[in-house]
Amino acid sequence: MEKIKVEICCGTACYLLGATRLMGIEQNLSKEMKDRVEFEVKPCLGLCNDERLGGSPYVRINGSEVLANATPDMVISRVNELLGREEV
Amino acid sequence: MHELFIEMECSQFTKTGQAACGDDVRFLTVDKEKRYIAALSDGLGSGVKAHVLSTMTTTMALRFLQSNLPTLESVEIIMDSLPVCEVRKISYATFTLFDFALGGRARILEMGNPGYIHLRGTEEIGPVSERKVQSEHWPDRGVRECDADLRAGDRIIFCSDGVTQAGLGERRDMKLGWRRSGVLKFAQEKIAADPEISALDLSRQIASTSVGITKGVCRDDVSCVVIYLRKPRVMRILSGPPFRRENDAEYARQANLGEDHVVICGGTTVNIIERELGAAVKISLADMREAGALPPIGRVAGVGIATEGILTLGRVLSALEEGRPINGEPAAARAILARMMRHDRIEFVVGTKVNECHQDPNLPQELELRRSVVRRIASLLERNYRKTVKIDYY
Repeated sequence: MEKIKVEICCGTACYLLGATRLMGIEQNLSKEMKDRVEFEVKPCLGLCNDERLGGSPYVRINGSEVLANATPDMVISRVNELLGREEV
Repeated sequence: MHELFIEMECSQFTKTGQAACGDDVRFLTVDKEKRYIAALSDGLGSGVKAHVLSTMTTTMALRFLQSNLPTLESVEIIMDSLPVCEVRKISYATFTLFDFALGGRARILEMGNPGYIHLRGTEEIGPVSERKVQSEHWPDRGVRECDADLRAGDRIIFCSDGVTQAGLGERRDMKLGWRRSGVLKFAQEKIAADPEISALDLSRQIASTSVGITKGVCRDDVSCVVIYLRKPRVMRILSGPPFRRENDAEYARQANLGEDHVVICGGTTVNIIERELGAAVKISLADMREAGALPPIGRVAGVGIATEGILTLGRVLSALEEGRPINGEPAAARAILARMMRHDRIEFVVGTKVNECHQDPNLPQELELRRSVVRRIASLLERNYRKTVKIDYY
């Protein structure tokens, strides 16, 4: 089964507006979730110039879905949703 | 000869229990004459009084050398101006002065300090000529004046007697101390093991080894100067996206200098390098947790290290401004500062496109414009760290 890819933006704006809160996110995952999610820190996702998307910090899931104003809870619940859907 | 970089460095330890170092070392580069001057003075006694004597000596010596005042006159003025020690009824500060203009010979003046060492690789080289200069006012203090023929790769080492007399009367195996011959042998061994050892590393190793001889207790102030003539070590810092996108490719090519010599500074900049050079940056959550008070550091395979841009450069600027020790800095700033210190010539390649999201009023006002931060870093590197700096804008 392919892992879910979670990219955390760590550009200047995302960093200042809360990306650091996301760095402990791995520890809040259950073991079975950890095996199915791959985290990566990106120097800049380049999303903050697009006003339509919301605001920093940004997280991108599976290369396309963007979470704006991302928090650890938000990312975990979205990952849970995606994992649940795969299992159905 | 003009391709040479003259690395002049000094390492010092203060006599244990004293508040001030009684040795003083000063360097001066006169850019338009391509001239390099160094002065080391050891003031009589130790502590604040010695510090005043040695500082007066080096300050005057640099001034006189720069203005090409005759040797005898300079020395007499220095000796006549030093305050007389109440205890010993003499005014005294020893010195070693080094004066070298690219393309010419080096002149070395010594009074009372251990003799300088000139090494070409591991071979000791003597002076081309040498003479004694004697003042009628101070008949007991001769100055040794030497001319030395310097070539690329040569090193000049000189130190205060705190180095050569380390262990004196204390260690059976060194009844007369480490001596000049001990320092010479040690330097030759270090150069044999690492032929390109920097002036900073060699001076640190000589100074700390001399202190190690007396088990970390400094019986006297310790200063060791190393001057190393070598090809400049060049590093390049790329920061900011180019103003015009069509220049991205040429901009990215500037990162082609070898992994140990390149820093990519800025998220968008890293993206441009990845895209144009087909390289990939890897940063893990663990890197982020270890990053300290700045965004994490990454490695672009085959290109160099990658850091965030303006916050990191701002931190580098403040560390250079305040002369803070590198070790206490967050990982990204530490990595950049360490690379800056290891290189002689620092080239900035600056993209001038303004990042609009940095103008967001929710962000701290300290997010200054890249160009101004880089300019300030450049001037500090030139002024306080004797680096040569070049800035290109894209």
